[in-house]
Amino acid sequence: MLSIKNLKASIAGKTILKGLDLTVNPGEVHAIMGPNGSGKSTLGYVLSGREAYIVEEGSILFEGVDLLTMGIEERALAGLFLAFQYPLEIPGVSNLEFLKAAVDAQREARGEPLMSSKEFLNAAREACKAVRLPTEFLKRGVNEGFSGGEKKRNDILQMLMLQPKLCILDETDSGLDIDALKLVADCVNSQRDAKRSFVVVTHYQRLLDYLKPDYVHVLSEGKIIKSGGPSLASELEEQGYAWLDRQPGEEKSL
Amino acid sequence: MNSWFDNALTRAEAIDDWLHEKRAASLALLRDTDWPTRQTEAWKYTSLKKLEQLDFSAGTPAPSINAHSISDLNSINLVFIDGVLQSIPADLPEGLTIMPLAQVPDEHQPWVLDQFAGVKPPQHLFGLINDTLATDGLVIDIAPHVDLKHPIHIIQTMTAGNEAHCRTLVRVGAGARVTVIEHLTGDQESFNTNFTEYSLATKAELEHYRLALQSDAALTIGGSHFNLDTQATLNSTIVGYGSDLARIDVDISHQGEGTLAKLDAIYLLDKQTHFDLHSNIEHTAPNGTSDERVRGIVAGKARAVFNGRIHIHRYAQKTSAELNNRNLLLSRDAEVDVKPELEIYADDVSCAHGATIAEIDQLALYYLRSRGIGLEQAHLMLNFGFINELIDQIPNAVLADWLRQQLSGRFTRMNTIKHSGQEMAQ
Repeated sequence: MLSIKNLKASIAGKTILKGLDLTVNPGEVHAIMGPNGSGKSTLGYVLSGREAYIVEEGSILFEGVDLLTMGIEERALAGLFLAFQYPLEIPGVSNLEFLKAAVDAQREARGEPLMSSKEFLNAAREACKAVRLPTEFLKRGVNEGFSGGEKKRNDILQMLMLQPKLCILDETDSGLDIDALKLVADCVNSQRDAKRSFVVVTHYQRLLDYLKPDYVHVLSEGKIIKSGGPSLASELEEQGYAWLDRQPGEEKSL
Repeated sequence: MNSWFDNALTRAEAIDDWLHEKRAASLALLRDTDWPTRQTEAWKYTSLKKLEQLDFSAGTPAPSINAHSISDLNSINLVFIDGVLQSIPADLPEGLTIMPLAQVPDEHQPWVLDQFAGVKPPQHLFGLINDTLATDGLVIDIAPHVDLKHPIHIIQTMTAGNEAHCRTLVRVGAGARVTVIEHLTGDQESFNTNFTEYSLATKAELEHYRLALQSDAALTIGGSHFNLDTQATLNSTIVGYGSDLARIDVDISHQGEGTLAKLDAIYLLDKQTHFDLHSNIEHTAPNGTSDERVRGIVAGKARAVFNGRIHIHRYAQKTSAELNNRNLLLSRDAEVDVKPELEIYADDVSCAHGATIAEIDQLALYYLRSRGIGLEQAHLMLNFGFINELIDQIPNAVLADWLRQQLSGRFTRMNTIKHSGQEMAQ
């Protein structure tokens, strides 16, 4: 599904990712943990094609296709979805209009017939129910005046509507209370199947308790320095990241 | 001088009705006024050339046309065709009196005489012309403490080859609440002046709309003018399409303490149209608040003019006034001329203003595209969102939906989409 090799990427002249390798197969859930500034969010932005992030070296194949030659919307239409750490407010563009445009674009790209307004509205209402956002939110501007948790749930709502193949969740759990966290985890779990993959960036084990990832990776200074099973997450939770610095052969910043 | 103006003065002299004294005073002022040129500050960016040679005084019979009523608005409709009032609904709610300007009963004449050219300041040339020529119009009186559920919807349509001058006076009694929609339509070659004067008594609340939807060859000059007494509230929304000549003057006078005025204006221009909005907010009493947001999209070879003045007088302490104007230019040939003017003579006020040529928010663009929405469509959505943000805040939901539909339809038809504007200009 996703194959990243020796990825080096920078923003504003500063190299953040320094040779990252990651392979995600269909149906797998990968968690990426790591200290602040290690490049976790950068990975999501680079995958999504955000323009300020420059790929200097390496390759990214998504379903065998070179992702780096694709535009932002092409990647989304190919099935890549990034749930943002800080979903943006877009006053003046209603959630409904935004969702409809995105869903239409997806269906068109997949060669499926467009949904009628009624079908679409029903689907949107169902998705609202799933993430427990009041349906009135559909009429409001995208994330306009939403609380932090509501914005995150709105991103998950989009994921439910768009049915992507690969979902990257960038600290979707931060700023969520326990109930909201459980809700988001339930939504993600409901979307898991043999084909759909997830890359979950998080600081906390709590979300991983619900999601039960297949792999946990530690990202530090732009590289994955350790990979393991779910137990790695609990080790990190208990001991922090400091012990990893003692690993031989790893660079260490002061 | 020009033939239209000469002709107008001659016509004005012939009018003799119960407003004669008022008209004579304005006529005297007019005779002392020079016809504007490009050197005249108030008309610096708006040419009157198209008007100068017009002669519609003979008039053309109006074809039968449908009133542009808005379904589900549950409004009290007052329709003018070429300046002629069609009818006044028979069963008006209690506390609401509507009279044709030409037939104001004796008991109402004193306040009407006070308010006629009493709210609208005398410096507006076409206001004076309207004083002398407007024999058609409405006088609307809302009794104190009446809460009018039905909006008053004044629809004015101009047809080809006609000229009309309309005047409306609205008195909102103490503690009364009312919605008034001034709705102007027509795209045929025509000329109208249209001025409305509102007085809001203590704690009166007015929700006001001026939908200046005349377009193409319909020349139109008018104004909405407001006096606010103690703790009165005005929530006004202006929408403009622009035409060969379209000019609106808005004056809001905060005369009592603790008044609140919100003014939102939206214009959406394309082709070679012109839209000129002059607003003037006077704070003469303490503790007043005014919040003015003006947003426009200008495409093609269209030109928008916005002059926003805020004048805070010496005794208007604790005034809070904000003025913000943002413009999105969709073509290299589009132009916007913006002039904010602040005059502050009180020392304890909070005041802010800004005028910008807006740029598309790159982050918002990325967000939309990251959901699969194509670049061009993302641009269209964000551009329309720029004005839709103000439509979202319109208090009347039915009217907001109707306007959103009208404006998005118009926006979709404006096909000369370019992708960015320029940074900051004033």
